[in-house]
Amino acid sequence: MEIIPQLIINSVIAGAIYALIALGFNLVFSTVKFFDISYGAVAVVGSYAVFYFFKMLGFPLYVAVPLGILVAAVVGVLFYIFIYSPLRRRKASNTVLLVASLGAFTAMQALVAILFSSQFQTLSDAGSPTKVFLVFSGAITATQVVILGTAFVVMLALAAILKFTLFGKAVKAVGDDEEVSKIVGINTSLLIGKVFFIGSALAGLAGILIGFDTGLEPTMGLPLLLKGVIASIIGGIGNVYGGVAGAFLLGFIENFGVWQISGEWKDAIAFGVLIVFLIFRPNGIFRR
Amino acid sequence: MQYLIHLAILVSIYSILGLSLNLVVGFTGLVSVATAAFFGVGAYTVAILITGFGFNFFAALFAGMVVSGVLALAIGVVLSKFKGDYYTLASVGFNVILVGVFLNRDSLTRGPLGIPGILRPTLFGFQFADNGHFLILALVFVALVFGACNFIARSSFGRVLKALREDEKAISVFGYDILYYKLLTFVISAVFAGLAGALYAVYITFIDPSTFTVFESIYILAIVILGGLASNRGAVLGAAVLVLLPEFLRFVGFPSEIAAQMRELVYGLLLVVLMLYRPRGLMGEYKL
Repeated sequence: MEIIPQLIINSVIAGAIYALIALGFNLVFSTVKFFDISYGAVAVVGSYAVFYFFKMLGFPLYVAVPLGILVAAVVGVLFYIFIYSPLRRRKASNTVLLVASLGAFTAMQALVAILFSSQFQTLSDAGSPTKVFLVFSGAITATQVVILGTAFVVMLALAAILKFTLFGKAVKAVGDDEEVSKIVGINTSLLIGKVFFIGSALAGLAGILIGFDTGLEPTMGLPLLLKGVIASIIGGIGNVYGGVAGAFLLGFIENFGVWQISGEWKDAIAFGVLIVFLIFRPNGIFRR
Repeated sequence: MQYLIHLAILVSIYSILGLSLNLVVGFTGLVSVATAAFFGVGAYTVAILITGFGFNFFAALFAGMVVSGVLALAIGVVLSKFKGDYYTLASVGFNVILVGVFLNRDSLTRGPLGIPGILRPTLFGFQFADNGHFLILALVFVALVFGACNFIARSSFGRVLKALREDEKAISVFGYDILYYKLLTFVISAVFAGLAGALYAVYITFIDPSTFTVFESIYILAIVILGGLASNRGAVLGAAVLVLLPEFLRFVGFPSEIAAQMRELVYGLLLVVLMLYRPRGLMGEYKL
């Protein structure tokens, strides 16, 4: 039974990472209403940017990480400016946007693989032992504590922004009804650009944290994105906090699931949960 | 010359895949990203039956198509309940689950090691060991699948599919069981994809799970969209372009270690460009 605390810790860490992805993904979805698959590629870009600045150029971490987040955010905005905004202006269907995002994701991932090779890389200093803390006989590394802390801080910050600032209210307005928002005077395309910036920054941050915890490879974007999507759908797509709840729920189901079923089926369990939800409760736990 | 024959065989195999996905995406209007999974099911069934049980290729091929079809039936029953983007997401999920099975069911599929030593087919004592002879075999199958798809397109079944694509609610009001039509199309598409998989397995004589991932499905989707939705000739043309184009890039001077990633970059970018400037594709009668 001593494995339960470890399972709980693993679930919480997984939940925190998925929550970061789900936060950004949901934020973007709530305004543009399509599934932006290239979001996963942005996470990969963030982590590789930090890899480039930190490991290849030798910048100190406190410079490399913000730069990495900035690069990720910029890439996300560029996707918006050059791909999604033109398509939306032409009133393209959601399917077209989805397919375009599939293409953007694939191309970006391939570009990263070409520039940095497909090999697995690590962000943390290899060789120095990571501190491990014991919590009720469950182990948690220092990196994972940082992940948890960062995730919570970011969630709270985003919540504050969305609830208390004018910008946050505008985001809600655009999510509710874009046409009317324009009439009321909100510059929707600029606002959506900002949303892409923030969302992509979140994705980059999530990618960076995973890079520190597990490592990087160019193909890590898709599984990450899919977990974020599953978490968002479980929690109620478009509902930013639903995504967080869904993320933790997913983390728990996955980790307790592999306790009973072999570990290789983790992804299959996650998708199984998604499909169950899509059949029985497509609106998720919390409606918008 | 051998190289050209090799390319022609690849074009044939991907033509069959394109034709099969065209039925689902082009005629029925459902963006499925799961084709590679059935490609894999066909390949693995044939590989296991030939290497493990000494089956004759044509018997194994039949078995492969049946297994593909049955699996598609099971998956399709769930999948066909979804609409639009959720259909696409769920199809990604199923592809991931099936690749998980290929990777993890070691006892059956040898996991990531793949299955080597698949023999070329023999027909009445004549073995298709020479690539030139294999090309003829492949072309025969392409012709058969092309004929079948043309037949479907022109039949009343095909007309219902196109009506489904245009307006799902309207056609159901007329009394057509849309679930049945979506399901049947999905199954037929999977059977043809399984056929392509069987050909692939005996041509390359080695298969492993990495050939059948979501990215391969996206590649096949790119073939269909490039060629033009609902155009059978377009599917073949799309396959030709998307197989040959990356090969030409090889001659432009890109090193071969990144050949696979270059191919990904090409079709990723192509999808984006197509969505932006020519969603109809080359010969399509309909755009997404």
